[in-house]
Amino acid sequence: MKTASRILGSAFFLEGYEVQDAPRYGAERRGAPISAYLRASHQEIKERGIIRDPSLVIVADETLVPMPAASVLLGLSAQTMLLIHSREKPQVWRDRLNVEGPILTFLSSGGGEDKPGWRHIGTACAAAGARLVGVVSWESLAAALKQELAGFNATSLQENLDNARWAYDLMEPNQGIVVPGRLLSAGAFPRPEWVDLQYEDARVAAPAIHAVMTSEQVETGLWRTMRPVIDSAHCKGCWWVCSTYCPDGAIQVDETGRPKIDYAHCKGCMVCVAQCPNHAIEIIPERGAQSLEMAGKDS
Amino acid sequence: MRVMLTGNAAAAWGARLSGIEYLPAFPITPQTEIIETIAKWVDFGEFNCRVVMLDSEHSMVTAAGAAATTGVRTFTATSSQGLLYGMEMLYTVAGWRAPFVLVNVSRGLASPITLEPDHNDILAARDCGFLQLHCATCQEVVDCILLAYRLAEDSRVRLPVIVNLDGFYLSFTREPVKLPSAQEVAGFLPPFDPQNQGFRAGAPCSQAVAVLGGTAYSYFRYQSHLAALNAETVFTESAALFSETFGRSYQAVESYRCDDAEVVFVMMGSFATKAKAAVDRLRSAGQTVGLLRPLLLRPFPAEAFRRALAGKQGVAIIDQNLSPGFGGILHAELAANLYGHSGCNPVLVSFIGGLGGRDISPEEFFEMVKTTREAIASGSTPPPRLLYTREEFREMKKWQAIALHHSTGEKQI
Amino acid sequence: MTETRFKTLKDLPSDHLLGTGTAMCAGCGGLELLHEVYDILGEKTVFINAAGCMTLLTVYPFTPFRGSWLYTAMASAPAGAQGVRDALDILLASGRMTAAEDLQTVVLTGDGSAYGMGLSATSGAIERGLDFLYICYDNEGYGNTGQQTSGATPHGAGTATNKGSLGFPGYKKDLFAIWAAHHPVYVATVIGAEPLDLARKVELAMHLTGPRLILGLAPCPTGWGYDPEETVKLGKLAVQTGVWPLKEFRDGKVVHTKVPKKRLPIEDYLKRQGRFAHLFVPERNETVLREIQAKIDVYWSAVESLGPDDG
Repeated sequence: MKTASRILGSAFFLEGYEVQDAPRYGAERRGAPISAYLRASHQEIKERGIIRDPSLVIVADETLVPMPAASVLLGLSAQTMLLIHSREKPQVWRDRLNVEGPILTFLSSGGGEDKPGWRHIGTACAAAGARLVGVVSWESLAAALKQELAGFNATSLQENLDNARWAYDLMEPNQGIVVPGRLLSAGAFPRPEWVDLQYEDARVAAPAIHAVMTSEQVETGLWRTMRPVIDSAHCKGCWWVCSTYCPDGAIQVDETGRPKIDYAHCKGCMVCVAQCPNHAIEIIPERGAQSLEMAGKDS
Repeated sequence: MRVMLTGNAAAAWGARLSGIEYLPAFPITPQTEIIETIAKWVDFGEFNCRVVMLDSEHSMVTAAGAAATTGVRTFTATSSQGLLYGMEMLYTVAGWRAPFVLVNVSRGLASPITLEPDHNDILAARDCGFLQLHCATCQEVVDCILLAYRLAEDSRVRLPVIVNLDGFYLSFTREPVKLPSAQEVAGFLPPFDPQNQGFRAGAPCSQAVAVLGGTAYSYFRYQSHLAALNAETVFTESAALFSETFGRSYQAVESYRCDDAEVVFVMMGSFATKAKAAVDRLRSAGQTVGLLRPLLLRPFPAEAFRRALAGKQGVAIIDQNLSPGFGGILHAELAANLYGHSGCNPVLVSFIGGLGGRDISPEEFFEMVKTTREAIASGSTPPPRLLYTREEFREMKKWQAIALHHSTGEKQI
Repeated sequence: MTETRFKTLKDLPSDHLLGTGTAMCAGCGGLELLHEVYDILGEKTVFINAAGCMTLLTVYPFTPFRGSWLYTAMASAPAGAQGVRDALDILLASGRMTAAEDLQTVVLTGDGSAYGMGLSATSGAIERGLDFLYICYDNEGYGNTGQQTSGATPHGAGTATNKGSLGFPGYKKDLFAIWAAHHPVYVATVIGAEPLDLARKVELAMHLTGPRLILGLAPCPTGWGYDPEETVKLGKLAVQTGVWPLKEFRDGKVVHTKVPKKRLPIEDYLKRQGRFAHLFVPERNETVLREIQAKIDVYWSAVESLGPDDG
């Protein structure tokens, strides 16, 4: 996402805009939601940090939409274009999210989660965004891509360029649909509602947690793009293998001594799949599994 | 019954009378005598306390905070380089809301390396979240430690406290000190109450956890600030109880002969008594002058200063510290607190001296009053005066000649 | 081997005690190590942590622990353990806490702290005979900041600060030897991919008193550049190639708990990791590969020359 925002940022810059782009994340690790901010203007950009009134929000990983930490819907207004990389139609998202503004969805030319093209989603999102804002030419976008992906080998770079071209062309009907944001009025503005904090007892006002295992409220299962599924016909019940090796302890052992995967927390690392002595755990796309779940079938 | 004690011995007694249970220690001049005294008592069975030598001050402060958050009354001591070596942990343990007392024996900071006192070390810690009490006499050292435990452990505060005493001028100087009895102390300082902070099976707790986002971080930091602000009220209450119990009275800001003073000295620490001596001499010469001395520096006693300085014409602020490129820190804090308050805008004249233990002579105090009066009369404030005399400068030049291998034609005596 | 309740893999704990939902990477070898250790140590523990990946195990208001936790700073977790242990002892001695409420004091750090700035505090703690258990998850770099070279980075490894064609030119510090030189009560190496060996060592350690230190290699998908599902595979290879010896220091002697009968060539381990890719493409770096293999061979020839009794 950092690269994607830099591609679009550099493209705007090559078009002569003042640009500010920045990633926003916690510690450097996989799984944490990562977002990036981009401001482009013909004037010097003085504002900074999170964008409270985006003109365009691009979501590369649709599973982040329900995740509070990802703040996807922050500041969305009726003027905000929401572009989601998703198989679903825009109306499905409109119903789900109850947003007023325009929604577009697209799926990267690579295909799906299990296809190699998945890697180039960032590029596709940047390219799609470039077309939607209407002021970024293909030439600038391609130049920006080559700049930001300078470390890539020739094959990979070409794949990215092809993917970007595809996404850029795909968005042609909606070229320029994204409009620059309105300037905030300092004349009539919603008051910030400042409060005067009162002293609270040190027990609650120190950074301490007086509870156990509250981490289980964090659904790290949302990280998954693929899901491990135990085939009960072939499972021999040697829980000491899979449930020991699962780094997250997301495989529990039930009363009958059978391993059970906790899908609310399984991150999809597939160590269990790799280590099952009887090859009794299979991998299925997460999306397919969710559809099955919603249809009431066992996964 | 008063006895002759050094400031360090007084600190050791303050800790002992406070019933400390744990002393993680590390030696540094000029505080080492404090931990040696306590260790000797323990070795000879005169005092029950666990003393542990850590590998550095950074480790020492960590151990102190950890023990306090586990639930025992903890004490430690350090100075200058050691205080700064542990600086990361000062902020950290204050954020844990770990109540304990650290005695800092102030000493000038390297470079150049010195053993003698000034206040740059203790003032470097002014933003870390510890409260600060500054002693002017050996008696105050004992008393401030007792006060500090009451302050730290109050449920409206729960913050660690630094009690500062000047190296050499207090640490190694003997003065008469009245030591309270254990029974008297029991009437002032109850046993340590962990107030549900601790580690034990059956009451699991994750302390000092990370936060993501400014919302949570700001909340916890603001709360520490509110706790520190509460400490002024708690100090006043505790000082009243102290007075009842031990017969000695303390104010957040000591006021000496200020009532009708036109010009007031403001300074902290043991040299403030020298200012008092100067005030007495000046008064005898017909000058209406006084001294204000903050005993409490964190929380900053803003209201007390404003009340004391209302209607005063001039203030000579003497900083035994220096922020290079800026000036005196106490001067800046006072100015910030007076600004914009009607009825309280004396001329503030900044003097910087006493660095690395440099003496401030009576004549210098008298001259400071002159300078301040000139500023009042002219309506213009001079830039900060770095106290240094012609004599000192000549001496410095002689040493430089040796260091730089110049021949000056003069022999060193 | 004295009596252990972990005779076969089936004896491993089926109750997994560490809570899910933490922010560690998918496939984290360190988390695997921690959860295996926690299953055995249990909830009567207070984990004292130094800055590293696992600092983010607890992020307000979320904690995975059933027991207690205290985050200190990068250099001073053992000093924090000193303070906690001493305070607990004082509370016990004065009757303000019962023996049933006592906790095991456990230090948890990564290699960044253990091999580097934490050495002073660790050395002091061992020297003072502190009764504590030290668990180090070693992913051979400063992981939380993006896998820069640390005191634990092995020869030839690529890191965020060694991106050249030779990787890191230095050699991995021998922390096991450093700890053992202090003559603590117990030192051991472990790995999550060998859970039975790990369980026996943790069980043994928790029933001893004094300084006990356990060093666990933590395969790291993010830092080492491999697919998360290979974490256990790589762990087993680390043991089978001999690059991660499983051993203990007790009663003044080093004893290996697993001696690979026929060591696999180290290439089998290296070629599966992106951090060693530069040793294979665009062309094989025979010099460095030989250096890496030689170091391992020298190590094991010294072990093997001590005779079968020590294996």
